[in-house]
Amino acid sequence: MPGQVLVNLFIAILWMLLQDSWSWLTFSAGYLVGLFILFLVRRYMDSEFYPIPILKIIDLLLVFLQELLMSGIVVAKQILQPRLNLTPGIFMLETDLEHDVEVTLLAMLITLTPGSVVLEISPDHKCLYIHGMDLPESFDSVNKSKLRFEEKIRRVTRK
Amino acid sequence: MEAILKLSLLLIVLSILATVFRLVRGPSVPDRVQALDMLGFLIISTTAIFTIFIRSTAFFEVILLIGILSFISTVAFARFIERGYAIDRKSD
Amino acid sequence: MIGNLIKGLTVVIILIGAIFSFISAIGLIRLPDLYTRAHASSKSATLGVLFILLGTFLFFIIEEQHFSTKLLLGIFFVFLTAPVSAHMICRCAYRSRVKLTETSIRDDLADCMCVEQGMSREGNDV
Repeated sequence: MPGQVLVNLFIAILWMLLQDSWSWLTFSAGYLVGLFILFLVRRYMDSEFYPIPILKIIDLLLVFLQELLMSGIVVAKQILQPRLNLTPGIFMLETDLEHDVEVTLLAMLITLTPGSVVLEISPDHKCLYIHGMDLPESFDSVNKSKLRFEEKIRRVTRK
Repeated sequence: MEAILKLSLLLIVLSILATVFRLVRGPSVPDRVQALDMLGFLIISTTAIFTIFIRSTAFFEVILLIGILSFISTVAFARFIERGYAIDRKSD
Repeated sequence: MIGNLIKGLTVVIILIGAIFSFISAIGLIRLPDLYTRAHASSKSATLGVLFILLGTFLFFIIEEQHFSTKLLLGIFFVFLTAPVSAHMICRCAYRSRVKLTETSIRDDLADCMCVEQGMSREGNDV
């Protein structure tokens, strides 16, 4: 992937040399041309066409934002109940993710889902211990969204 | 417009008071660390609204720095409570 | 006219952020124990700060035509570190044996914790 970015920059600079005009406009035009050429020869590259992983990362970031918005509203509703009837508790969640980065991302995402904060990660990275705000509901919501998160994270971190 | 900004500033000042109440009252040490963490967020918000009042871009570094300092101090406090020291002197 | 409308919109975004901060401060007082308060301080407060910083960012683009990368970096940093600090606080609280509230109905971590405490104590001794 860094190689592809370098090739793209090289094509942009070559474009500026050929046009003999040194401005940001020419540079952007050359960059777009380079992107198009890389798109044409993408099959002969050893790694994926490089905007695609970036798009996946942006997709993951959007999931983060959406979860934060949802959970903020849910927590605000729970706080503003006239009488607090919460049943908090700690439950265990198993995960199939292996690498450190993946588990970290999953823990951050789960912390952002409605009504759950990750308390502890077991040393072998297999179990997450999660504190739920309102237990049966948050257990269900975490279990439901876990598969979706794991798939999105895998798409970013693995080829 | 100014009125809405003043209203939001008032709300944030009230939340700072509530957080300080928790900081003083908190039964255990982690409670107080949590209140300090939240206080950092609220100070960031106050600074952001204040920059709009005086129409100056000079305080953006302050926002960034308070964010970083608040995070680092929270992590250091948490490590200190957990292990009794904050910085590993034995490097391996 | 339209410029004024958009400016008003950014101020309303700031007001929404302030309301979220206020709600989380109420939660910080009302909720019964540290772990439930962590929910309030990690989610509602983060959302409030993000809304306020976003409103400031948009306001300076519209009013002064000033695209501030520093503020964008600040938004990104706060967004990234808030869950981590909530996790650290909860973890150190559990390790220093802060009690859960009485209405808690389940604690999966308690039985596993004895084993781990022994392990980490050995690790510290070395």
